[in-house]
Amino acid sequence: MLDLVLKFAQSCREAELRVSTAELIDCAGQLELIDMIDEDQFKATLRANFAKSRREQKNFDRLYHLFFHEMRPDPTVAPERLENGGLSKDLAELLDQMAERDEANPLDQAIMDFLAGDPLPYLREIQRIENQAEAPRHQLKSNLGQLSSRLEVMLRINRFRDRIRELPGEDQTPSVSSDRRRAVDHLIQRLNTANRMLTEDTRPYNEALQQVKNYDTHYADLGEKPFASLSAKEIQDMRDGIEELVRKLKDAVTRRYASRNKGMLDVKKTLRHAGRFQGVPVELKFKDRPLRKAKIVTLCDVSGSVWSAARFMLNMIYSLQDCFSDVKSFAFVCFPTNITDIFEKNEVNRAIEKVMAETDIQFDSLTDYGEVLYQFHRDHLHLLNRRTTLIIVGDGRSNYHNPREKLLEEIRAKCRRVIWLNPEPEEFWGTGDSEMNTYKAYAHEVRPCRNLNQLIDFIEDLVL
Amino acid sequence: MEFESVEDVEQKLESVDYIPSREIATVVYLAVASRKPILVEGPAGAGKTELARALSRCLHRDKIRLQCYEGLDEAKALYEWEYAKQLLYTQMIKEKINDLLTDTDSIAEAVDRIAEQEDAFFSERFLLARPLLQAITAEEPVVLLIDEVDKSDPEFEAFLLELLSEFQVSIPEIGIRKARHIPLVILTSNNYRDMSDALKRRCIHLYIDYPKRDLEKRIIELKIAGIEKRLVEKLVDTINRIRELDLKKRPCISETLDWAQALMLLQVDELTPEVLSETLNVICKYQADTNLVRANMDDIFN
Repeated sequence: MLDLVLKFAQSCREAELRVSTAELIDCAGQLELIDMIDEDQFKATLRANFAKSRREQKNFDRLYHLFFHEMRPDPTVAPERLENGGLSKDLAELLDQMAERDEANPLDQAIMDFLAGDPLPYLREIQRIENQAEAPRHQLKSNLGQLSSRLEVMLRINRFRDRIRELPGEDQTPSVSSDRRRAVDHLIQRLNTANRMLTEDTRPYNEALQQVKNYDTHYADLGEKPFASLSAKEIQDMRDGIEELVRKLKDAVTRRYASRNKGMLDVKKTLRHAGRFQGVPVELKFKDRPLRKAKIVTLCDVSGSVWSAARFMLNMIYSLQDCFSDVKSFAFVCFPTNITDIFEKNEVNRAIEKVMAETDIQFDSLTDYGEVLYQFHRDHLHLLNRRTTLIIVGDGRSNYHNPREKLLEEIRAKCRRVIWLNPEPEEFWGTGDSEMNTYKAYAHEVRPCRNLNQLIDFIEDLVL
Repeated sequence: MEFESVEDVEQKLESVDYIPSREIATVVYLAVASRKPILVEGPAGAGKTELARALSRCLHRDKIRLQCYEGLDEAKALYEWEYAKQLLYTQMIKEKINDLLTDTDSIAEAVDRIAEQEDAFFSERFLLARPLLQAITAEEPVVLLIDEVDKSDPEFEAFLLELLSEFQVSIPEIGIRKARHIPLVILTSNNYRDMSDALKRRCIHLYIDYPKRDLEKRIIELKIAGIEKRLVEKLVDTINRIRELDLKKRPCISETLDWAQALMLLQVDELTPEVLSETLNVICKYQADTNLVRANMDDIFN
């Protein structure tokens, strides 16, 4: 039994479910305590030890089903039956043949192992494809790397399927041939499983995702108008509105500072003041505990219509800079550009103009979220820590490029919260080239942000 | 050992009006047997806190609760010196201190003399035990509920690690306080943020989902005495259909119970769209959700 669990743990690790030795030891100890015949108990024990958060449970459930249901040896095709039909010999020959032609392709070997009931190498191959990073090429961009690797695996699986179908045949004795047929069916079943795993949805459960839909009406007309369709006059009004709001918010924050919780008694200070009353501590002094300020990192899509929402958000964030301990901003179309400096040295509206005019952002190229995440992950990951809130403003329309959502998962692990603001109305998320539903599984909070009212709601939540 | 088997956990929890699923019972059994903390996740109102309460009742242990929030620190969670009391005492026994020092010649000697008395001031008398220290030093084993641990700061989480793995606390002035009995620790999280790997590793994990239909029926029948079977059936059907809608906050078991209670009080015995419409505010906590349910009334009742 321990062997089986060990093997399962190994499969979990191949599929990037981190299982530590300590957890394995705990689990092995606990398995002794329960009734292992009862699958509910068995599964609950493994799950409690291997998947330590709701997000990981999806991956766990998938692997558990694969390992303990689909890969379980079928009693109707016991090894001796395979032997009886001479199938194992045939299979070995088949592999030999294939090996000769392809010079022992590791992929074929992995599929072969999968057929034999060991999913480990195959899981490893799939994970490799999933994590496959493409070297960024600036001239001709291809997003087909993963897709073509997957296709290759599928083709190989199909080839196996054809060859295995051809296997039963020579021996026509009824008992032998029915055995063989059953064994062949079983193998085909496994190939189908292998095929399914390639296209399976591996997005984690994200029930804790805060999906904000409602908002208060702060401004009746102007507040409802989408950012993208504002006239010059309205933009001016909007700025005034924002200024007013910023003032209000600052007041609120200051009030909060004034009445912040008192910290522990400050003995030194108290004794010093006690001197005035002949050593009697009449006045107690407390240690002030400054409120924790959030660190903000923003990542703004500045292509096309998204920019209009992003600029107002940047405008607000920078007007409220006092309320945060640190603000860093990046703008992107196909790679992130650090625009923190521009905003620190210039007045907000001036800075927004400068971003358009003076940076190396290629406004005319195609948006590629995967590439942006990749470069952000490579160059700027150190900016994130447990205090940071990462705000991404974008529509998630990635022109059918590879979304690289696993990178967002790694980024998420580094920071406190990931909030995604989408300037598109919710009905359009996930349509066409929008990867919003993919990215949604990796954010803590998503909200539509297409007019002033929604933006104000967001900023208030963020600051207060 | 408090529980003999998984079935025993189920029985004992049921005897205190908490009906666990097989998974919950298994995890609880393992946690008690291997003395590990349980990290419970799940939607609000699914019965995370209730589980701790039920465990404390069926194990006949006291429950000590620590509610986490942003800015919670050691002084609020673990212990604090009662400075005010210390200062007050110093004032009151001033003369005694003077007596103590009358026959000293030098300041150094006086300081030494006072240092000898230090223990009197840094003793348990002046120590204000907060929930975590209380749980550790309790005479009898307790159930320690650390509620909404995801709301606390990362620093607090780090500090919790020491406690959860060693079950001891070091107080510099006094020394190390080891747990007399290892408490049964239950941490709950609403997943506002992800917990650190280190903390997760020390706990065993449990996810409490919306209960399955049969379980939910049993829970209602148990908690709401005298409710008709037919009404329960209909109630659970309706609630499950409402859960399928794209709501901001889906009704949990606690809302179902509130609703059943309300229907009982109103002496309703037939569930109609009108009844639902009138009592909707018990189930839905947002205006938008209420509107959504009203708009889908036909689907819910067909």
